[in-house]
Parts: sequence; C-alpha cells; structure tokens
Amino acid sequence: MSVDAVSRRQRDTYLIFIALCVFTFINLTPLIWAVLTSLKDPRDAFTIPPTIIFEPTLEYHYEVWFENDFFRYLKNSLIISLGTVLVSVPAGSLAAYALSRIPRRSAGPILSALFTIRMFPHMLLAIPFFVMGTFLGMIDTYPLLILALVAINQPFTIWLMHGFFLEIPRDLDEAAAIDGCTSWQAFRIVILPLARPGMTVAALFSLLLSYNEFLFALVLTGTTTKTLPVAIASFGGEDISAWSLSAAGAIGIMLPIVLVMLVLQRHLVRGLTAGAVKG
Amino acid sequence: MAPLTVRQATKSFGSVQVLHGVDVDIEDGEFVVLVGPSGCGKSTLLRLIAGLEDITSGDILIDGKVVSRLHPKDRDIAMVFQSYALYPHMTVAENMGFSLRMRDVGKSEQDRKVREAAGILGLTDLLDRYPRQLSGGQRQRVAMGRAIVRDPKVFLFDEPLSNLDAKLRVQMRAEIRELQKALRTTIVYVTHDQIEAMTMADKIVVMRDGRVEQIGSPLELYDRPANMFVGGFIGSPAMNLLHGRVSEDGRSFTTDDGADIAFSEAVSPAPGRQAVLGLRPEDFTIADGGTPATIRLIEPTGADLLINFDLGGEPITALFHERLALREGETVGLSVPSNKVHFFDPDSGARIE
Amino acid sequence: MVRWQRGLWLFFLPSFGLLAVVLLWPLGYAIYLSFFDYYLGSDARTFIGLGNYADLLSETRLWRSMWTTMLIAFGSVGLEFVVGFALALALYRLHRSAKVFSVLLFLPHIVTPVVAALFLKWMLASNWGFIDATLLTFNIEPQDWLGSPFWAKVSVILADAWVFTPLIMMVLYAALQGLDTSLIEAAQIDGASNWRILRHVIIPSLIPAIIFTISVRLMDVFRFFDIIYVLTGGGPGTATETITMYTYQLGFRMLEVGKASALGVITLVLVAALLLAINRTLNKTYRGGDR
Repeated sequence: MSVDAVSRRQRDTYLIFIALCVFTFINLTPLIWAVLTSLKDPRDAFTIPPTIIFEPTLEYHYEVWFENDFFRYLKNSLIISLGTVLVSVPAGSLAAYALSRIPRRSAGPILSALFTIRMFPHMLLAIPFFVMGTFLGMIDTYPLLILALVAINQPFTIWLMHGFFLEIPRDLDEAAAIDGCTSWQAFRIVILPLARPGMTVAALFSLLLSYNEFLFALVLTGTTTKTLPVAIASFGGEDISAWSLSAAGAIGIMLPIVLVMLVLQRHLVRGLTAGAVKG
Repeated sequence: MAPLTVRQATKSFGSVQVLHGVDVDIEDGEFVVLVGPSGCGKSTLLRLIAGLEDITSGDILIDGKVVSRLHPKDRDIAMVFQSYALYPHMTVAENMGFSLRMRDVGKSEQDRKVREAAGILGLTDLLDRYPRQLSGGQRQRVAMGRAIVRDPKVFLFDEPLSNLDAKLRVQMRAEIRELQKALRTTIVYVTHDQIEAMTMADKIVVMRDGRVEQIGSPLELYDRPANMFVGGFIGSPAMNLLHGRVSEDGRSFTTDDGADIAFSEAVSPAPGRQAVLGLRPEDFTIADGGTPATIRLIEPTGADLLINFDLGGEPITALFHERLALREGETVGLSVPSNKVHFFDPDSGARIE
Repeated sequence: MVRWQRGLWLFFLPSFGLLAVVLLWPLGYAIYLSFFDYYLGSDARTFIGLGNYADLLSETRLWRSMWTTMLIAFGSVGLEFVVGFALALALYRLHRSAKVFSVLLFLPHIVTPVVAALFLKWMLASNWGFIDATLLTFNIEPQDWLGSPFWAKVSVILADAWVFTPLIMMVLYAALQGLDTSLIEAAQIDGASNWRILRHVIIPSLIPAIIFTISVRLMDVFRFFDIIYVLTGGGPGTATETITMYTYQLGFRMLEVGKASALGVITLVLVAALLLAINRTLNKTYRGGDR
C-alpha cells in the first residue's frame, strides 16, 4: 500500500471514531436523561429548557425503595429468577449433554424442534397458563410464574449448553467409561466440572431473561408476587409528578444488570452469538 | 493378563460394513500390533474390543469369557488414547488413580499403586501437576500410567505415539516395549506405522478394507508375506513388485516390459506361469553376471545408499549397506539370491510357494 | 446408540418432562380452547368449531393489527439491521477502542425492556419530555410523538430499534471477528474497492449470521409486547396495536380466552410461514448467486 493510502486509512479510522463517539452519546441520551431525572427535584424536572445543572438529590432513590415496597418486589424478582435458574439450568444441562453425545441423525431433529419451539408466540402460552392458573388457584404464586419462565427458557438453555458440551471431547467420556464410570458418573465427575463456564453463561442468561420478563409476570402475578418490571410499569408512568420517583425506581432496576454485564461481558457476547456464528 | 479372542467379528455403520468377519487369537502376555492403511478397520476393531462400539456380529472373549455385550467398565481393560484423553481438571495423581477410585479401592491403596506406577514411568515429581502443565511426552506417560495402575487383563493402545515428534517416538517405542516385558501384559496396539509394528510386536495383524490380510511374527511377515499387499506394506523402502512370467526352466523371469532377470538357481514355484515377482530393496547385490540396470538416482543417507535403477523400463529401488563407488547414468549388473525372491499370483495377489 | 451410552436417554427425561408439562400441554390446551366460545368468568363454554377463526378473519381490527405488526416488524428490523451492520463494521475497523464502544452501545439492550421503554417515554412525552423541552426552548412546535397515529408508529419503531440494534451489532461483530482476514487482504491486494470487498467478500461469509439474526429478530418482533405496552398501550386508538397487543386485549382485558387463543394460533402460523419464506429467499439469493 502506498503512503498515501495508509494515511487515508488512518484518517478514515479517525472519522469512524468520531462518528461512533457522537452516535454513542446520542444513543445513551435517554439513559443519561433518566439518571438526571432521578436525581432531580420536580421543580428541576419540569422546565423549559431542560435543566442540566441542578442540585442533585438522592431523596427519590431513598423514597422508592424504603417507602414504596420496592424491596418486596426485588425479593419477588430474585426468588422467581433464581427459581427459574435452579429448575431450568440443571434440567437443560442434562438434556444438552445427552444431545451432544447421541448420534447426529438423532440429535438434528431434536435441535430443530427446540429451535421451532423458541419461536412460539409467548401470548399463545400466556393464555393457557392464565386459564389453568385461575382454575388451579395458582395465580399470584411463585411456582406458576417460575414454570412459565422455565417453559420459554428451556429450549434456549439446551441450545446454548449443547454448544458447550460439543466442545468437550468425546474421548473423555470414553476414557471415563473404561475407567469404570456409568454415564451418570462420567457426566458428574468428568464432564460437569469442565462445563462450568458454559453453565455460568446459561445461568446468567436464564437469570437475565427472568429478571427482565414482563408479559408473564404481568398476567400471572398479583399483589404478593409482583416483580420489579411489573411494579415499575404500573408506577406513575402517566403521572408526571411521579417522574423523579419512577426514574429512581427504573435506575435501581437497571443497576444490577449493568453490573452483571460489566463483570461478565465476555460470557454475554458468547451466549448471544451462540448458534449465530458457528451455525 | 489374559488371552483375548476375536471371533468372526463384523461391524457395520448403517449400510457401510467396515469389518468383514475378523478372527484374531491373542495369547496371554502377547504384544499384538494391528497395522494397516487408514480406513482398514484397525481402530474400529480396537474399539470393539474396548466396548466403545457395539459388535454387529461375532464375539469377543477375554480370558475365555464372552464380553461382547458388556459395558467397557466391566471388561477389565485399559486404554491409551491417541489424544491421551487426560482429565484436564484432575492432577496427574488423580488422573492415574481415577479408575481405582471408581472401583472403590481404598485411599491408601490407591496412593500406593499410583506412586508405584509413577515410579516405573518416572512421573513421581509430576504427580501434583495438571495435564496442561506437562509436555507431550509426559502426557503420554500419564496416559500409560493410568492404564498400568489398574493392572487390567488387556491393554489397548490407539496410535499412542502419533502426536509425538520423531525422536520422542523412537524413545517411547522402546519404553513401551520394555514396560510390556516387565509387566508381562497382553497388549493390543494400533498403528498405521509399519516400523512401529515391526519393532514392537510379538505378533502383527495386517489389515486392509476390514479384513485380516496376514497374522504372524514380524519376521514371518517380512520373510514370507502371504500376499502382495503385505509384501508391499511391510518393509521400508517398499518391496519392488514386477509383473511378468517365470521361464519354463524356472531360472529366470521376464517382465511385461521385456527385461530378463536371471536367478542363480532354479526357483521352485510354478515354472512357466504369469506371476508378480517381489524383490526387497536390501536383497540386491551388484554382480558382473547380474541383470543389467541403469542407475537413475543415488540417495546416500549416510548409513545406507538408496539407488533407483531402471531395469528394462521398470523402476527398481535397491538399498546397499556398503558405500559403492557408482555414478548416476552408469549401468551395472544386479542380482538377487534365489532364496530371497517372492512370487505372487497376479490376480488374487496370493503368495505362490 | 452404542450400548454403553444407552443410559443417556434418561438424561432427556427431566427436561423433556418439564417441556411436556409446561409447554406442550399448555399449547395443546390453547389450541383446544381456540375452538370454544369461552368468556373466562362465566362457567359456560360452547364448542363453536372454527367459529373464532372465522370471526377473527372477517374482522377489520385483526387485519389492521396485522398490517401494523408487519409495518413495525419490517420497519424496525430493517432499521436495526442497517444500523447494526454499520456499527459492527465500524467496530471491526477500530480494533482497540472497540471494546469500550461495544459495552456502551450494548447497554440499551441489556436494560430491562420495560425500563428502557420508560426511559424513552420520558424522552418522548409531550411538553416535559426531553425532546419537546429542548425543541420548545428554541420555539419549535414539536409533534405529538406518542399521541398522533403516525408519530406513535414511528416512535414504536425507533424504540424497538433502540433496544435491539445492539443485539444485531454484537452478533454481526462477533461474526466479523471470526472472518478469515486473509480473504480481505487478498481482495485489497487485488485492488478491490471497500464496497466491493463488503459486497463480495464480507457479506457472503456472514450469511449464516445474517439469516440467524434476521430470523430471530422477526420471531421476537411478533411477540414484541413490553415496549408497546408501556409506550403507547397500543394507542392512540389502535394505531400501534399489533397482533400481540390485540391478543392481550382479547385475552386479558376482555377475557375472551377462546378467541384470544385462536388469534395466538393464527400468529404462530404466520410467524412460521414468514420465517420459512425468509430462509428460502436468503439462501437462494446468496448460496445460489455468489457461488
């Protein structure tokens, strides 16, 4: 390449960098605005032009958690998310392991079926869950929502874990069999410890999905098991005088996720792209 | 340690049959090498013995007992994998002791046996390391250690040296052989390398396309190959194979290209018939009365001299242990002792006695 | 399966047992319900065969919601794909600072969708929202972003794009990183323009990733619910009412669970048909054309 071309390339890179900075900033405006709103007193929140410089207050963050039951919703969210992970990941891992070890011609159709299940409209599942839950008197209980979340979660968990198990060589299963393991022992003692990173990713995704889930939580929970997303959605979205308060709530809901993401970013990307890159 | 018998073993994967009725008898304490080109079914046969694949028909007997339908863990065998298949999350000691742990051997007994095996293999200082911290040769040794610890009836080796470099391979070859002598175990060893087979085996099983071509000791195979394939496969450089006809008096052979090769004495088998003549490169001598051949290429290896000849249009490879003062392009007389010639049937490939 | 591995079938039991109980059974039940005139709250349910389907298919509300769904689906997925791909290429080009950007750009996707929708609502709300407040500062009369049928649709599309563009960006970026760089270098040495490299080297090797993202996104967009629910609730009127929103209204507001189930089944069929068609076309265009 000529010197000219190299410097042109450098200039292009520079321009791309600037463009990305601008785009990123604009893209994050809603988030920044929400953070600012949550720190504002209403008299700063409703102004034209919008106030950028003001005296920040944590009053609303305090109020939303300590005077508005948000801790209870957080507890519900955590119980339901962890419950889903504890059901979905172990069961999914077992199936995914078996799927990675049976002959391809048997595994192929099962994988396609799982992929098909993933595309079911959730609404089509929410209705029978609602009807059956009503009959069984299970609306507004933890198990019902956990089961519903497992249903929408399980195919993805299996799909994700399957990829991880495929990377563990079959030789190890065979060596374990010769060394005296049954299939269960080989899985538990030899394979499982090696699959731990994969299980972390699968657990993380189940956790995120259940923490963020809205539709099932909306129709299957009531006053006792209401989760954070349902709470915040019903919490003064309309009433502008509650903006600061609900912004504080929204930021509070967002923070744990952002933390998890920063810590586990590498795993996240891997989970998201599973199936996409390697096909 | 026990005898092992494979009786009429066949194996099909779907509609593809990879083994066609294989019979092998292995005596107690024998070192048997399964050798053949890739795809000949040797690894499949080993996996059938291990129980990692189901036998389609036929039987496998270990110590006189039919094990064809047993789980690998119940066959009392140990296996060294090509990839070594060490458990990455376990230390060397845990890897070696794993089979004992699975068989509920007591902790102190486990420890004693692992130390003993480690001592034999020179792994004592590495017992607390993890496989990723070991060199290729060390991993190979751990894989063997894992097998030794168990003291099983039969050891199975699946191309265990193919991931090592050439020098280490020669060294490990000798070590495995010594180990086998010391432990007097029955070993079934798969390789595609005929030199490995020749140097290590008590008995070689040559396989091709899912069939056994010949079973015998290394020298039997070398001296009396049962057919053209074995003749060509065993020995390096490979046997020269010439198509032609034996003369009526049995004292010479005329190749299809018209070159005449004279023998010092009449050769016994089938005078006057079409045959394939097999001549080992190292059996040639240069003699004035021999068949005239032109030197094409001289390759000195230091120890030996490898010469490509043109013998009446046929390319011939010959190996000499002495340093001959020859030049490329020169024509010399080649002769072969008549007790060193092999004849094969051109159609069936079978040896003609 | 090989004899020693037969025990593996048992490993399927927990998961497939669960799926049967929590997925297949409810689905079957939903299909069953779709043949009934059934108002949850009354005890009576009357079998009406395909009555619900016939009713729905003759309704203008259904067709309007389908049209809205298509508009939002193709609008947002198209926008997401173009922007996401451009971002992925930009990140691919940057190397060093790419990591920081990818984290920041990814934030909107990771945030709880309901929360993301609220963030956007505070941007778009009339008068006091950030956009209106800013525009009014300069004495520009703003549109009613969530209140006018046209702008509400645009807002919903933008909202979906805000949340899901990062996903597409990330998947395509990962795929780009898996690309064989020697192919691109060879093309550069041959003097191919950037555009030609993109068209003939990069895009063809990203086809699996592209098919994956577009299919998954289209599936998702049909269940797109949280954001519309928070942002417009399907309004104004039924301007942003997608099939999913309509199903929600039928099932959980009017409690017409039979009819709602039927609508769910229709959606399922529609999604399946759409995905099949997309896969076919993309496969044909690229696998066939660029060989």
